[in-house]
Amino acid sequence: MTDQAPAIFIALEESGFAAAIRQSLWLYPAANVGHIVALVFFAGAVAVIDVRLLGGLAATAPGRLIARARWFAIVALLGMAVTGFMLFSAEASHVALNPVFQLKVALIGAGLINVALYEFGAKSAVADLPPGAAIPARARMVGVVSLLIWVAVAACGRSIAYF
Amino acid sequence: MIRAVLFLASLVLLSGAALAHHGWGSYDAVKPITVVGPIVTSKFENPHATITVRATDKVWTVTLAPTSRMSSRGATDKVIAVGNNVSAYGYPSTVEKDELRAERITVDGKTYEMR
Repeated sequence: MTDQAPAIFIALEESGFAAAIRQSLWLYPAANVGHIVALVFFAGAVAVIDVRLLGGLAATAPGRLIARARWFAIVALLGMAVTGFMLFSAEASHVALNPVFQLKVALIGAGLINVALYEFGAKSAVADLPPGAAIPARARMVGVVSLLIWVAVAACGRSIAYF
Repeated sequence: MIRAVLFLASLVLLSGAALAHHGWGSYDAVKPITVVGPIVTSKFENPHATITVRATDKVWTVTLAPTSRMSSRGATDKVIAVGNNVSAYGYPSTVEKDELRAERITVDGKTYEMR
């Protein structure tokens, strides 16, 4: 525990919830494994979406494929959030001050903003396209940015333990 | 779209400039030291068990291994109980004052590997 962290993170680390995660033999490792399993599904779903936006998987109708893959991405992201919160709680005061963790949170925010940009700026132009049709440039841009951001998020996540 | 990308880029840059602080990983493997003394506090917790040891010079915080690894090697919570005498060989932190990451510990004549 470090008292340099904002009070809310100290309180979280000192909570019974966080103590239970630290003191259980299996909760922390289980959250660790769960985080990675959720990551696998999330990365798979995001890859399908982004590859389709970049013009791959061209035999499919992009609107339907993306809508279906998005459900996997949302559920997997929730799984990552729950397991990630468990891992974070156990060492909240230290992790909150970790520069790589801060970068990761900012990148996740950027990733979600990118989703909103697609939702409100590009989705309507993609939703009813037939298989094989060219993807509009702004939708391709969303795909590129998404790939870059989520790969960077994964790299940051793996790096937290080394800073 | 360009505006959005610029916004994202500035977000990334801003957060990168946020205050640098330590977490794990910064230990000076070139300067291993051995800390010997009684255990003052003991936490058998994940992600790493930690003890504090009253050595002749000062009280060291010694970072050990995950609890499941400790247990499987016989280094249970009883082995690192408060009051036991311990000898910890490891590497001092380059960021955290008086912190050591143990490569191995010896308690009661028995050595336990932490890596």
